[in-house]
Amino acid sequence: MSKLNATDIQGFVLRGYNLPVARYLFLRLEDAQRGRTLVSRLLSQVTTGQRWDGGKPQSTLNIGFTFGGLQRLELPLATLITFPVEFQQGMRHRAELLGDTGVNSPDHWDPVWREDQVHVWLGINGQSADALDACQAAVLATLEEAGGAAVVGVQDAAAEVVDGRPTTSEHFGFTDGFGNPEYLGVERSSQPGQGKLLDDGKTWAPLATGELLLGYADEAGELPVAPVPHLLAANGTFMVYRKLHQNLATFRTWLDQQSTLYGGGKEKLAAKLIGRWRDGTPIELSPDKPDPAIAQDPKRSTNFTYGADADGSRCPMGAHVRRVHPRDAFGFNGRLINRRRITRRGLPYGPFAAEDQPVADKDDRGVIFMALNASISRQFEFVQQQWIQYGNDSHLGNDKDVLMGNHGGHGRFVVPGDTTPANPPFMCSHLPDFVELRGGDYFFLPSITALGMIALELVDPR
Amino acid sequence: MANTNGSVYGLTILSPIIDDANATPSHDLQIRAYLAQLSTREDSPFAIAPGTHLARLVVMDDVIYVGMPSCEEHLKSKYLIFESNCDGDLDSYLTGLADTIPSHLDAIWSHCVGYPTRGAGDRQAFISYMKACQLETTFYFAAVNDKSVPATLRALQTQTAVADFIAAHQGVDPETVQRDFLDFAAQLKSLPTLPPGSMGPYRAIRTGGHNE
Repeated sequence: MSKLNATDIQGFVLRGYNLPVARYLFLRLEDAQRGRTLVSRLLSQVTTGQRWDGGKPQSTLNIGFTFGGLQRLELPLATLITFPVEFQQGMRHRAELLGDTGVNSPDHWDPVWREDQVHVWLGINGQSADALDACQAAVLATLEEAGGAAVVGVQDAAAEVVDGRPTTSEHFGFTDGFGNPEYLGVERSSQPGQGKLLDDGKTWAPLATGELLLGYADEAGELPVAPVPHLLAANGTFMVYRKLHQNLATFRTWLDQQSTLYGGGKEKLAAKLIGRWRDGTPIELSPDKPDPAIAQDPKRSTNFTYGADADGSRCPMGAHVRRVHPRDAFGFNGRLINRRRITRRGLPYGPFAAEDQPVADKDDRGVIFMALNASISRQFEFVQQQWIQYGNDSHLGNDKDVLMGNHGGHGRFVVPGDTTPANPPFMCSHLPDFVELRGGDYFFLPSITALGMIALELVDPR
Repeated sequence: MANTNGSVYGLTILSPIIDDANATPSHDLQIRAYLAQLSTREDSPFAIAPGTHLARLVVMDDVIYVGMPSCEEHLKSKYLIFESNCDGDLDSYLTGLADTIPSHLDAIWSHCVGYPTRGAGDRQAFISYMKACQLETTFYFAAVNDKSVPATLRALQTQTAVADFIAAHQGVDPETVQRDFLDFAAQLKSLPTLPPGSMGPYRAIRTGGHNE
């Protein structure tokens, strides 16, 4: 296929901006007419996927709608009913299926997510807090002019800054953000390990465009389920937004306690949980120590497979990165997972705390997790339900993902060992909940054309 | 053989449902109503009867005409489909059903054409009837194809217990581990095997479909 029309696709969909700070505004729309006016006025400010030949802008703006938002904008009923069921239901109504129960259940979410009041997500990414404020001021001025919309929630997020430079570290101390998939037609510097594995078991190629964008063939050669008309759907995608609170005190205490029992030591145990050392080095490639030469080399940092490590003596079957992106771990050169890939965006929120700084679980910190995919049910929901909240595909029975799982006090994580004293087998049991869900929803991120159609009331399903 | 996968038998039975315009409600609806109230746990008929790994009962009304270019066809009858992955040889499996859950079988199959007048109580007639309705299964998947149902349940129980033992004894000195393990092994041996259906989650029977 030829190159995609980047000017018609929201920039947030095509690339991670790598801007250090972000602010997400959540709007409630009062009525259709003023809602359309708002979309029309915001349209010129929306950042597209066009290349930044003149350098990064100070800030970017992107927009998405919940199903409730599209209803409030009075899209024709014949269009609304063609959206996928999970999007129509919204994330709160999918809680049981996603394992968002117990401490993660909607009763415990931030108030803004407990009712269907969020209609619009506005994502602002910026070079600095000042740039965010400036962009937000422009957006609020537009809101004021258009009327009929209220800001019901604001969420700030920011990368940790070390020595004046933003990092990709998250609160538990791991380097994050490796290995988003590559897609056919999306311009991006290619990195082995980021697309799909070919039949030779070692060459990587981009995934079909339809795994990310609506209106294009997916890995099965089919068009993803999408609303009609085609023009409304094409070049758009769905986004999952989840606010994941991190119980940092619990994590640190637990890791300290467990590492006194584990023969490989604290840092190795931490690496076994994730599948990467804290600096990002894949333990599959470097099982005994972090190796910055690998972690910082794009040709190597995501370029590995699990085929030769079936017993998990290097990277445990239950390690987070192996669970959520099993590569070839299920055989068939990875073909079983090519329709289960998601593109991740997002940043941490809340203050960073160095290892020697006191922390408490109730401190407001975590990560804003956003996943982009053509089919929320086939991609995100499958990964969440089968690979995070269940272990059967990884031959781990009922075990859940050690960090993300909703354990309810029963969780278990096995570190397979080998014959060396430095790598003994080890079992962690009665896992606490390290991460708790604080809310979120499913959003539709339309193309620029589709935003115009919505704004001008031109969505015609016939 | 096409009906077996390892030591597991793949049974497929299609029984024509009685077509009687005077029946109220119709026989297919009476089967549906009965199936809908069955349990999926310990008190499921297929948990009570021995040897079932997995069973499924489906009422098939007709083939659905999807429009041109396919041609419009219809079944001669509505059918009750019974699929089961079960242990061992067919005769003993059917005998086990007839001996343990005859009232369930009669309540379901008495709505089918040619079911023995005396029902599952006439064991030989029941077996002959089921075999007369049997189709070759050809290709199927068995999740566990080398263990009987009791052996599978025992293995799951052992796996869970051993995992719990390991978790509870990490870092404990070898003498204690050995002593406790001997106790544990003896205790485990004397434990009764959990009944089929007792380990699954509670769930209501639903009609199926992608979004459930």
